[in-house]
Amino acid sequence: MKNNLIHLTKDLRKDLIEVLEPSESHHVGCSLSIIDIVAYLYFEALHVFPNEPKSPNRDIFILSKGHGALAVYVTLYKKGFFSKEVLATYDKNGSTLPEHISKGVPGVELSTGSLGHGLPVGLGFATSFINDKKDNKVVVLLSDGELDEGSNWEAIMYAGHHHLENLIVIVDLNGFQGYASTEKVLDLSPLKEKIVPFNWNVYEMDGHDFKSMENVFKQIGKSKNKKPHFIIAKTIKGKGIPFFEGKFESHYKSVDLATKNKILLDLKNLS
Amino acid sequence: MRDGIISEIYNTMERNKNVYLLTGDLGYNTLEKIEKDFPDRFIDVGVAEQNMIGIASGLALSGKKVYIYSIIPFLIMRCYEQIRNDICYHDLDITLVGIGAGLAYGILSNTHFALEDIAILRPLPNMTIFSPADEVEAIEGMKYLSSHPHPTYVRVGLRKEAVVSPQNYIFHFGKASLMQKGVDVCIFTTGSITDEVIRASKLLTLNKKITPTIINLHTIKPLDKNTILKEALKASIIFTIEEHGKIGGLGSAISDIISESAHPIRVIKIGTTDVTSKIVGTRAYLRKILGLDAEGIYKTIVEHLK
Repeated sequence: MKNNLIHLTKDLRKDLIEVLEPSESHHVGCSLSIIDIVAYLYFEALHVFPNEPKSPNRDIFILSKGHGALAVYVTLYKKGFFSKEVLATYDKNGSTLPEHISKGVPGVELSTGSLGHGLPVGLGFATSFINDKKDNKVVVLLSDGELDEGSNWEAIMYAGHHHLENLIVIVDLNGFQGYASTEKVLDLSPLKEKIVPFNWNVYEMDGHDFKSMENVFKQIGKSKNKKPHFIIAKTIKGKGIPFFEGKFESHYKSVDLATKNKILLDLKNLS
Repeated sequence: MRDGIISEIYNTMERNKNVYLLTGDLGYNTLEKIEKDFPDRFIDVGVAEQNMIGIASGLALSGKKVYIYSIIPFLIMRCYEQIRNDICYHDLDITLVGIGAGLAYGILSNTHFALEDIAILRPLPNMTIFSPADEVEAIEGMKYLSSHPHPTYVRVGLRKEAVVSPQNYIFHFGKASLMQKGVDVCIFTTGSITDEVIRASKLLTLNKKITPTIINLHTIKPLDKNTILKEALKASIIFTIEEHGKIGGLGSAISDIISESAHPIRVIKIGTTDVTSKIVGTRAYLRKILGLDAEGIYKTIVEHLK
């Protein structure tokens, strides 16, 4: 499994770089920080049906940090939700794949882009499944900076109180938000200690290590204490592409054509 | 008016097990029967309106029909972006039942008033706005809305409102309701202030021998443009009367329609201004102070007819 995912996520990174519109596309760093997690979810953890995207048996994945859409689009493409031709329109005039994730894309459950919306919506799905005695999971992926939004804390309080055990939150802890590091803007730490008293199970994982992800999802699968699950995923902004890796500005930076070609060449030589 | 609306929600929940009612910790002495009979589908989410709209959206995206009950500013202003992005952009089957239209909260004052609600909800895509004048209309409208799977806002006044609907009233959602046929003067109104308008019209007839046409627009979006234009063409002056700010409300909506037509006619807007009230009082008192009671409306109309 892990070897396959390592190969797969190399391909996903190549696809991601290939569709970048030179001098236009942004949010590359924040897509690369979650791409391994998104790949793990779609290829290992979620029940999804590319030929029947609205299947009632599907698990729900919500990308609340809508600016990381590109990571989800390349994964949905790879999973078979839509064609490479559709993916290739990304960020081009007339495309149906906006830079903030859109429900118009096959496989996408919720349009987001303004932070702090995804988790409350996830609670609604989770409540619906529990009341209907269905075992569909709900996974919501948040950014760390997004936790500044008060709506998330309303939702964290609610989910713990109402024992939404079918809900899994993953926080992409890449340490950077819009203007600077989270440590400088609004320090989240100690995050685990903040979430536990809200009646959640809290886990920590390496968001680029599939073994680490597998361990956490195994623990969640065995959990019987009727609490929702909160995963703090340590990630690196821009992970896997040296031009972006570990750099704050990778949130905004676009590539020119020469840089794009250089990155693709480097990726080719690596594999 | 409120009891009729709640009993229609109850009926819909009884018929259809996919219907939910959410509240932001309001509805004491109002929602208990629903809570008791449908405990899994009644959710008091707490004093957390952003989360409430999100939960409603998740429920709706999973196939549920959702009603949300709260006081208007908390229901639609605190969480406006959630309504825009989560409910309206996704065109979800969610009905926002807002309590306290206009000045209804009286002595509770400005924070609880709803004088800008129509202005901010009108521009939203997929949004329907329903503003019943009395309980008869409220019940008819709620029956219609029980099978209207789109974002909807219901603007509700006091628990009890005067009945203004005629006997044998035939209600059509989305259509203007002609309450009185008159000549020259045409009045467009909405909501419970219709009662004051009817009484102002009686003063006009009694004192000035003028009988205005009165059109009640219970559906503010979509607005019945055809009837509005048809009646406007017959008039020499139009008044719009609402318990809402003059900026962006029914008067603005009517003015938009008239200004795009080739019909040269004045539209006089009667409503509140964008000034917060410094004094308190009951709704009846505040309407009087602000010229929105029957007498005040009558005076404003007479001034413009000179």
